[in-house]
Amino acid sequence: MSMSITRLTWINVSKDLRLEWRSRDVFNSMMFFALVVVVVFSFAFEREDSRPVMGGLIWVAFLFSTTMALNQSWARELRNGVLDAYRVSPAPAEALFLGKCLGNFILIVLLECLMAPLFVVFYNLSSVGPLWQLVLIALLGTWALVVNGTFFAAMSIRTRNRELMLPLLLLPISVPAVISMVNATTQVLTGEGSPTVQLKFLAGFCVIFTTACFLLFDTVLNAE
Amino acid sequence: MKTKLFFAFAAFCCAFLAYGTYQGLVVAPTEETMGNVQRIFYVHVPAATVGFTLFFVNFLASIVYLWKRSPRADALAATAAEVGVVFCTVVLITGPIWARYAWGVWWSPWDMRLNTTLMLWLLYVSYLVLRRSSTAGSTSVLASSLAIFAFLDVPIVYMANRWFRTHHPSPMIGTPNLDPRMQNILFLNMLAFLCFGALIAWFRYEMERTSQKINAAHVQRAAGGAAGLMLIPAMFFATPSHVNPIAYLWGGYLAAWGIYVSYLLFLMRKLARLKKEAAELGAG
Repeated sequence: MSMSITRLTWINVSKDLRLEWRSRDVFNSMMFFALVVVVVFSFAFEREDSRPVMGGLIWVAFLFSTTMALNQSWARELRNGVLDAYRVSPAPAEALFLGKCLGNFILIVLLECLMAPLFVVFYNLSSVGPLWQLVLIALLGTWALVVNGTFFAAMSIRTRNRELMLPLLLLPISVPAVISMVNATTQVLTGEGSPTVQLKFLAGFCVIFTTACFLLFDTVLNAE
Repeated sequence: MKTKLFFAFAAFCCAFLAYGTYQGLVVAPTEETMGNVQRIFYVHVPAATVGFTLFFVNFLASIVYLWKRSPRADALAATAAEVGVVFCTVVLITGPIWARYAWGVWWSPWDMRLNTTLMLWLLYVSYLVLRRSSTAGSTSVLASSLAIFAFLDVPIVYMANRWFRTHHPSPMIGTPNLDPRMQNILFLNMLAFLCFGALIAWFRYEMERTSQKINAAHVQRAAGGAAGLMLIPAMFFATPSHVNPIAYLWGGYLAAWGIYVSYLLFLMRKLARLKKEAAELGAG
């Protein structure tokens, strides 16, 4: 009996979320790390109107927390031999990858929801542009980071200096996405200009790199 | 036979490069507003052409590797990435030297064209780091996958000049804004540097194959170009308008050739080491 890819993906997502819910080892440390970053930034950048730099600050904080969370996401599977089990099973590797991506995506979005009030409090922040645009930017931007991040985390655990390798691979690849996220966020926050072009660019980036990840994940999983 | 052909090609490249450089430095007309600094153009643009071409070769070779799993394709991919990084380094060093005189600043942080070129450089350095640090068996597969990702960014870099606001001069080839004499000399230099790039890549490829044969593939970061940077500190303290553009011109040329020569020296050293290792193992 073969299961559909949707069902397999759901099994992977629910397993990841259940494990995380019971142990909370990634979420707690990620949350605390994000809090520390916000506080340190608030000491480092003291200024009257924080809106022009906030786009950069927010995304750098999210980028660092995401890198930290993603590093952990495959470590557990490697430790318990899940990847080897997956290699010999007939289940498609794409389901594993999609499940991992969705699990990470939910985790990071949750983190962003918890961190947004912190930014508002520490920087006395309010948006000039419409709020729903910020939500759209956050969702697209997070997906862009998570899909590449999950892929490169799977790649970097295969190297000798595991945790060190992920930022080295992920940051250069994400630069175009980060630039457009930061620009779009700043445009909405300051109300200067419309983020439509940046959003289109970000959506294109997501489509291109999600496709590439899906096409190549099987190869990376089976690399020997 | 191969060696003879290689040396013949090397001699040809030397002559061609010398001729191209002479044309660029002496024969080409002086640009009206920027003066002699503009002659950096004849090393900057060809280096970019060669760099981008090699990244494309790396992309193709990586696809072929994933498809056929041939070690030759893998060696070619590794070679193209490393030599491409060297040429890209030249682009990133000669560019700011020119910009310091023409714009008054070394680097313009929000310029998409500059950022995307720097990003490409970072991507291929990360590719070389991945090649170095992955476990022996999986190196080629992981590196080829990364190469495909990295190349997906190249169209973005290429289109950046057209999509986003940038200070970087737009491509001028084929437009009436470019003096035909300058254009011919640019093409001459592009061709010369393409030959030069092919020569280095050939040399490096043979080394990579030897290295594969003795099962000790060491891929190392491209030489940093420290020699070429010697001239730069003095320029930090000088106001561009009071400085003779010639100083910047020489800075650019020395930086570029410093990087090329130090990379060649690095390759020579590596070759000597590989030969020794091969002799000890009785392979090669």
